[in-house]
Amino acid sequence: MKCLSALLFFFVSCILNVNAQNFEYGKLTGEDLDLKNIVLDSNANAMVIREFGTSSMRLDDVAGRMTIDFEYHVKIKIFNKNGFGSGNIIIPRRVYSDNEDEIKELKATTIAFIDGKVVRAELDKKNVFTERKNKYTVLTKFTMPNLTEGCIIEYSYRMILPSIFNFKSWDFQSDIPKLHSEYIAVIPALYNYNASLRGGRKLTSDKAELQKNCFRAGGYDADCSKLTYIMKNVPAFVEEEYMTSPDNFRSAIYYELSDYHTWNGGKKNVTKTWKDVDYELTSDKSFGTQMKRKDIFKDILPEILKNTTDELSKAQAIYSYIKKSIRRNGFIGIYSETNIKNALETHTGNTGDINLALIGALSAADLDVDAVILSTRANGTVNTLYPVISDFNYVIAKVNIGTESYLLDATEPLMPFGLLPLHCINGQGRVVNLKKPSYWYDIKASQKDLTRYTLNAELTNDGMIKGQLTTYSSGYSGLIKRMKIKAANSVEEFVEKLDEQMPRISISKHDIQNLDSLDNPLIEVYDIEMKSYDDVNKDQLFFNPFFINRTEKNPFNLNERTYPVDFGAIREERVSIFIKLPNSYTITDKPKDIAMSLEDNGGKYMNTSMVEGDTFISQQVLQLSKPIYEPEEYLSLKEFYSRLIQLQKTDVVFKKNK
Amino acid sequence: MQKKLLILFFIAFTYGSFAQNKTDYNADLIPSNLKSRAGAVIRNMETTVDMRTQDNVILYVKKAVTILNKSADERGALSIYYNKSTVVKSIKGLLLDAAGNTVGKFNQANFSDESASSDYSLFEDARIKSFAPSILSYPYTVVYEYEIRYRQNLIIPEWYANPYPDVAVEKNSYTFICKPEDKIRIKSYNYKSSPEESITEKTKSLTWSVKNLNAFKYEPYAPDPDSYLTYVKIAPEQFTYYGFKGTYNNWNELGKWVYNDLIKKRQTLSPAAISDVNKLVEGITDDKEKAKKIYEFMQKKTRYISVQVGIGGFQPFPASEVDRLSYGDCKALVNYTQSLLKAVGINSMYCVVNAGSLKKNMDIDFASMDQGNHIILCVPFKNDTTWLECTSQTTPFGYLGTFTDDRTVFACTEEGGGILRTPALNTTTNLSKRKAELTINDEGDVNGNMQTNVYGSQYDNYERIINEPYKEQLKHLKEAYDIDNINFSDVKFIQKKEGINPVTTESLKLKILKYTPKTSNRIYLIPNIFNKASSIPESKNRNLPVYVNRGYSDEDEIIYELPAGYALENKPEDVTIKTLFGTYEMAIKSDGKKLIYKRKLSINSGIFDANKYVDIVAFFSNINGFDNSKITLKSN
Repeated sequence: MKCLSALLFFFVSCILNVNAQNFEYGKLTGEDLDLKNIVLDSNANAMVIREFGTSSMRLDDVAGRMTIDFEYHVKIKIFNKNGFGSGNIIIPRRVYSDNEDEIKELKATTIAFIDGKVVRAELDKKNVFTERKNKYTVLTKFTMPNLTEGCIIEYSYRMILPSIFNFKSWDFQSDIPKLHSEYIAVIPALYNYNASLRGGRKLTSDKAELQKNCFRAGGYDADCSKLTYIMKNVPAFVEEEYMTSPDNFRSAIYYELSDYHTWNGGKKNVTKTWKDVDYELTSDKSFGTQMKRKDIFKDILPEILKNTTDELSKAQAIYSYIKKSIRRNGFIGIYSETNIKNALETHTGNTGDINLALIGALSAADLDVDAVILSTRANGTVNTLYPVISDFNYVIAKVNIGTESYLLDATEPLMPFGLLPLHCINGQGRVVNLKKPSYWYDIKASQKDLTRYTLNAELTNDGMIKGQLTTYSSGYSGLIKRMKIKAANSVEEFVEKLDEQMPRISISKHDIQNLDSLDNPLIEVYDIEMKSYDDVNKDQLFFNPFFINRTEKNPFNLNERTYPVDFGAIREERVSIFIKLPNSYTITDKPKDIAMSLEDNGGKYMNTSMVEGDTFISQQVLQLSKPIYEPEEYLSLKEFYSRLIQLQKTDVVFKKNK
Repeated sequence: MQKKLLILFFIAFTYGSFAQNKTDYNADLIPSNLKSRAGAVIRNMETTVDMRTQDNVILYVKKAVTILNKSADERGALSIYYNKSTVVKSIKGLLLDAAGNTVGKFNQANFSDESASSDYSLFEDARIKSFAPSILSYPYTVVYEYEIRYRQNLIIPEWYANPYPDVAVEKNSYTFICKPEDKIRIKSYNYKSSPEESITEKTKSLTWSVKNLNAFKYEPYAPDPDSYLTYVKIAPEQFTYYGFKGTYNNWNELGKWVYNDLIKKRQTLSPAAISDVNKLVEGITDDKEKAKKIYEFMQKKTRYISVQVGIGGFQPFPASEVDRLSYGDCKALVNYTQSLLKAVGINSMYCVVNAGSLKKNMDIDFASMDQGNHIILCVPFKNDTTWLECTSQTTPFGYLGTFTDDRTVFACTEEGGGILRTPALNTTTNLSKRKAELTINDEGDVNGNMQTNVYGSQYDNYERIINEPYKEQLKHLKEAYDIDNINFSDVKFIQKKEGINPVTTESLKLKILKYTPKTSNRIYLIPNIFNKASSIPESKNRNLPVYVNRGYSDEDEIIYELPAGYALENKPEDVTIKTLFGTYEMAIKSDGKKLIYKRKLSINSGIFDANKYVDIVAFFSNINGFDNSKITLKSN
């Protein structure tokens, strides 16, 4: 980026000529007035009638650098008072090290029709607020005056963005439907950007034209590509549960600078090939340089590795050490925020600091380690067609031992070795090695999310079930349990609270094992008592065996689904119940012994119950064998859960043997 | 030279103890009884408020807190709020290890600085500086001191002796310093003795202090913490606030100042607006009818937008501004409504309230500006008093709801202020009445009609759903009645807003596929489909009284038509439970073809002895059991 500004220093002036097809501000058509929300979506409380944006480049003479000039103009119809929220506008601006996105020429008008007359109310400048949210973001905020049901709001502004690395992206889809959304990107032919369209919707129109001599700088003229994108009748974007980032599904166009030509005919690649990216990353002071900093660990390694024998135990020891040594500061990134030495000394850093330190330490111990850059679930999926470096927002370590590879993230102290936090499980990551070319790698949860309950108990003559309940939790379930226990002041207080939450069950003794031994399943052993019957001497006893981890609600209760259901990991829950009965019983009726499964090995549920000797035995297994289910599978998932809930309502009926 | 030495000595004296950290904060020195239930222990905290002049109040805090385990990390973090009238003068601190050795230092540069705007506001000028220490082994100690300057003395920082349940206190003190002639009013709550007082020629100081307070357990159904915590509030008689000056000793004088200085001049409406509002009520003779018309006009015209800048926290936007822009926060909308009412000759009162579902009173004995968070309007008519919530576009005229019901509020008028009480919503008026007629078919599907009427505090149970488009309503209903495989049709909501007891009616058709599962020869039916009470957690070794914030009554009746070929085999016994906390009745009748399920639950509000907690747990636990009880039908 530095060379870019240096280069542009030669230009004396620059004129950019855009013939944008903006629509006239404040002009109303009869159609606007009469619009009803039946046009696109009868559920809409508000709708964008027309939205227009254009981005072009210009040279900031004073600063001597290129900027992006973005203009935005929108007209929104408010159908009813639930749509008034669309009248509260927040425009985020980015803060850079030496300047920030600048907003100009903001105007906003509410147009209402009162007694057949058009009444306009203009936004007062003094009601526009600037909120400096944090060190990276400033918000421009205002609310539209005089909203009434059926009114139209219109506003426009210009924004000057000092970074041309990411050309201004454009959202075709938002939380309200849009009749017409149009974006024009005017890019001097000197610059090449990689554009990527996200979301499932197609563009209504996609036009590229050549604009002759549109860009003048340093006495030279250059041509521009004028790219016009139009999307019409775009439905509102509705978020669903169990989905990854909405950004993966919302229709939008993104750009990243790939290369540009210099005025003397040369060409500079910014991001073009992975080879370039690899070089950039491995030579970056905040990335590659940090990976190589073996020197920091020279003195402490012998201490960390003193009880280790093989490569795996070395890797585990280093992993634990880094987890204990640097606390995450809340910011994420692929780069080190300061540098890893500082992070180790101050015991704090962003996720880049922590995991680059991990990579540095592993490599200092002569282990075969790579960095893997990825995009978190909240950040959306990465573009795998071109290298779009700004798609990535997270770095982890990949350590290769023998034939095995382990993906490591040292930012969560309770994470077992080899398991990644759920936010990292998001498609593919790119493995970056200091010496070898980078490559794509599937990032998956390495462990099953497993919970196993075993109850060994007896039904006593006073109607109590007394016995021992043992729970094994591993994978994400183990992690979540550990987090809950650690959030309590002590194990005793955790158990006390657990006991208090279940008024019918009392816990008389507890034993929690492997709380700090993260690579083993967390084991909870509780001696429990629960009141079940007032009188056990009836001829017939009804007993519901689904009282442990019962599925009370169907998590999939909707009638349709648009986006995939993404759990992140495969799941398994097992319940085994052994209850010694006080009398001799036979089973006269019981929940069906079933084994049902989802298509395509997607999952299964099994249930059996029986009496063996004087003991009642129930076995239940629920498996969801895919981390991601497609929208087409939603209804069968729903039906699967529904059948499970129906089954769990039925009882075992015991008849006393005479 | 001598002077210089003296200054040096003075500096050394004031900062010496801090810089050298003479006090031993070795974590082993914490008395073991203080560690019980504590995630952190305040070793020593000294809060000093020095009111030098009305527009120069210095808050000086020194604090050492030892964090015992991970659960209490946030108790070692420091967040300081500030705005244009609050200046953070200095912050510095030390991090100590378990033995009390210094392992790190921090100062203002280590703090993040962010906007403290709340989610519901468009804009606030409040900001927050925060710092979270990074120490990775427990226990550790954070020692810090900071100084804040307030350019006002209307609100003096209050002091809590043990602000967090999971933090024990070794020593904590509060000192208020002012000039001997300054008149201040003080109220200490749950403080056992009197403050230590010392007077010199130039200053008067008062000190409250506590020692060895234990951490305490969170207890559900407990009264407002302010009823048992130790804290101190101070209000100077003469004050300065954003250029305003005033004097008050009681609610009356404070109310007079609020109205005359902050509100009165903000109630001017344009002649056009005045004539419009008079036109609006033309022909109406009854004042209450006029007020209703104006209230509904205001609801239709405006919307709630919160903007809090400077004195904006206490002073409404001008009524003319709301008239022009059609939006405002609670103050602005109340002020606007009051102005409209005034324009037609109806008197009303601007009332400050502490809003929220948990009822909190304005302290009748101690006037101060920091007790409320919301404004409502009181309109006294000849025979009744009407209360108006002005931030909602849908609330019925005269209905307050659970946000502001049954508590004391501070009314501000031209003649003076006073304490009033908002009307209570009680157990019998907070009624939900549901009736359903359903058919069970051979497949186990349940089909039929249902109508639910909700009154009183339950009136707005459907608020979230009611204004949504139909398709969204169907989705929300599936969440509200979270039953597997349920689908709704012909959904209608009607709100009768008139009269003293508004009612919302929900009527719908419903279908639940395979609600009653079958085994080889039985059908299982949980007759209570829609309204199951949850059990409440136990609270062992209960200390605090049991507090039920609001009572209500639910009446449910479901008539089932049973599938042919099946007869009732087993049903739970009818029950009636009467307790201190309320009553529960469940009855099931069947004539072979039909089955009638009836459930009545009424919960009383009130405060009960701590030892009654086990009874309320048993009450809800029993209800929960009965609500989930099953009927079996056997094939003939």
